[in-house]
Amino acid sequence: MIIDERMEELASLYVIGALTGPELAEFQAALQASPKMQQFLAGLQPAVEAVAGSIPVVAPPPELRAKILARVAPQKVVTLPERSFPAALWWLRAIATGLAALCIVLLLDDRQLHQTISAQNRQISELQQLAQTLQSATNSLNQTVLSLRESNRLANVRITMLNSLLADAPKMEAVTLWDYQSAGGVLVVQNFRNLPPDKDYELWVMDEQKTPVPAGVFHPDASGTLRLDYKAGRFIKTPGQFCVTEEVKGGVAAPTIKNLVLASN
Amino acid sequence: MSLCAQSAVLSLFPSVDGPAAGVLPNYSIHVNEREDQPVAGQAAESDRDWELFQLIGAQDRVAFAEFYDRHCARLYSIAQRILNDATEAQDVVQDAFMQIWEKAGQFDPKLGRPAYWVVTLVRNKAIDRVRASQRRARLAESAGAEAALVPAVAESANARLHGHEKATLIRSAMVELPADQRQAIELAFFSGLTQDQISTQLSQPLGTIKARIRRGLLKLRDQLEGVL
Repeated sequence: MIIDERMEELASLYVIGALTGPELAEFQAALQASPKMQQFLAGLQPAVEAVAGSIPVVAPPPELRAKILARVAPQKVVTLPERSFPAALWWLRAIATGLAALCIVLLLDDRQLHQTISAQNRQISELQQLAQTLQSATNSLNQTVLSLRESNRLANVRITMLNSLLADAPKMEAVTLWDYQSAGGVLVVQNFRNLPPDKDYELWVMDEQKTPVPAGVFHPDASGTLRLDYKAGRFIKTPGQFCVTEEVKGGVAAPTIKNLVLASN
Repeated sequence: MSLCAQSAVLSLFPSVDGPAAGVLPNYSIHVNEREDQPVAGQAAESDRDWELFQLIGAQDRVAFAEFYDRHCARLYSIAQRILNDATEAQDVVQDAFMQIWEKAGQFDPKLGRPAYWVVTLVRNKAIDRVRASQRRARLAESAGAEAALVPAVAESANARLHGHEKATLIRSAMVELPADQRQAIELAFFSGLTQDQISTQLSQPLGTIKARIRRGLLKLRDQLEGVL
């Protein structure tokens, strides 16, 4: 770039701060593009400094220096003199130092404690979840156990129907639930014929040798129904037939065959 | 238009609004052929200013105090001349030195001379205040009327900065400037007038004003070569 008279004018106005408008933009573009122009402009700077210094000196007020230097001064830190404590109070320092150290230790401990508590809370939460899972499994197992017990109980029970042997009382019937473990059970009767007060019905259970074993006497009410918990007179491992006879009040040791009223198949 | 908006080295310059303040050089593109050295007038004084800037950038308060002692008289005189008010001049100088304290570390030697930067920094801050107080016309008139050199018997700001021997050389260079050139230059620098405003102020064609400023600065440059 050739620095002609016009560009020198623009540079002179620019360095003195009097260039504006489109000429300013034009000159700045030229300045960007031309190292020669940059060099030329730099050479004018001392001239401007000379102009600036050509005026009569006016001494600044002395306090201005102190004011300015104070603004860049570092912040004063108040420190206690090294020997501000009387020698006799050395133990106060020792206590203060000890307390400070204790505070630091406590702070560290506190931090560790918080970390431990957090870890334990996490473990508790996990254990609670595990406990819920186990509780659920336990409930399920209990249900299963109950179900199995029920099944087992039913497996140990024998249900037998007893039918009427009387032509004039064909609706008399009974059901017995025999529990193998207790050698007893429950007898439920209905539509039984009424008995005179001096007579009772008696239940018999045949043992393995087909010997009748007395299992209890009963006297139904006027409706002919009754529920009787009974137990065989002796232990029978595997019962045979069940039957009911009419006997004298209180029952007898051996059944009266002619008075047989109900029997199982 | 803001000076800062026009400059690539925005942070190093104060904001000066309006055309009257003109435009100061864009330091970022003042590339010296010797890129590791400050541009123009490689005098020892400029080198010392640059050293001080580096120390100030490292928050060296002793260096800051030395820089203050070297330049404060001239900077305060410029502010006082432009503002014609001691209190405001103190404020401007104080602001400028705070900016020096904060920005000196960012100053790039390729951007120019530290002394030129601080001179224009104070000049722009002062002119900002003049504009704010609407005192421009009065000051422009006074600047035109006072466009006279420092009497030989009085101490100039240059003398305070450079010593009497150099100040004498500078004064000689200024004395040799034709009065019309010196007046146009001073109206631009101290009053913050643009070329158009100077033209109006002096009732001279714009081309004449441009030529006067150009010739005056070139003459000063040539006569002061090796001095500053």
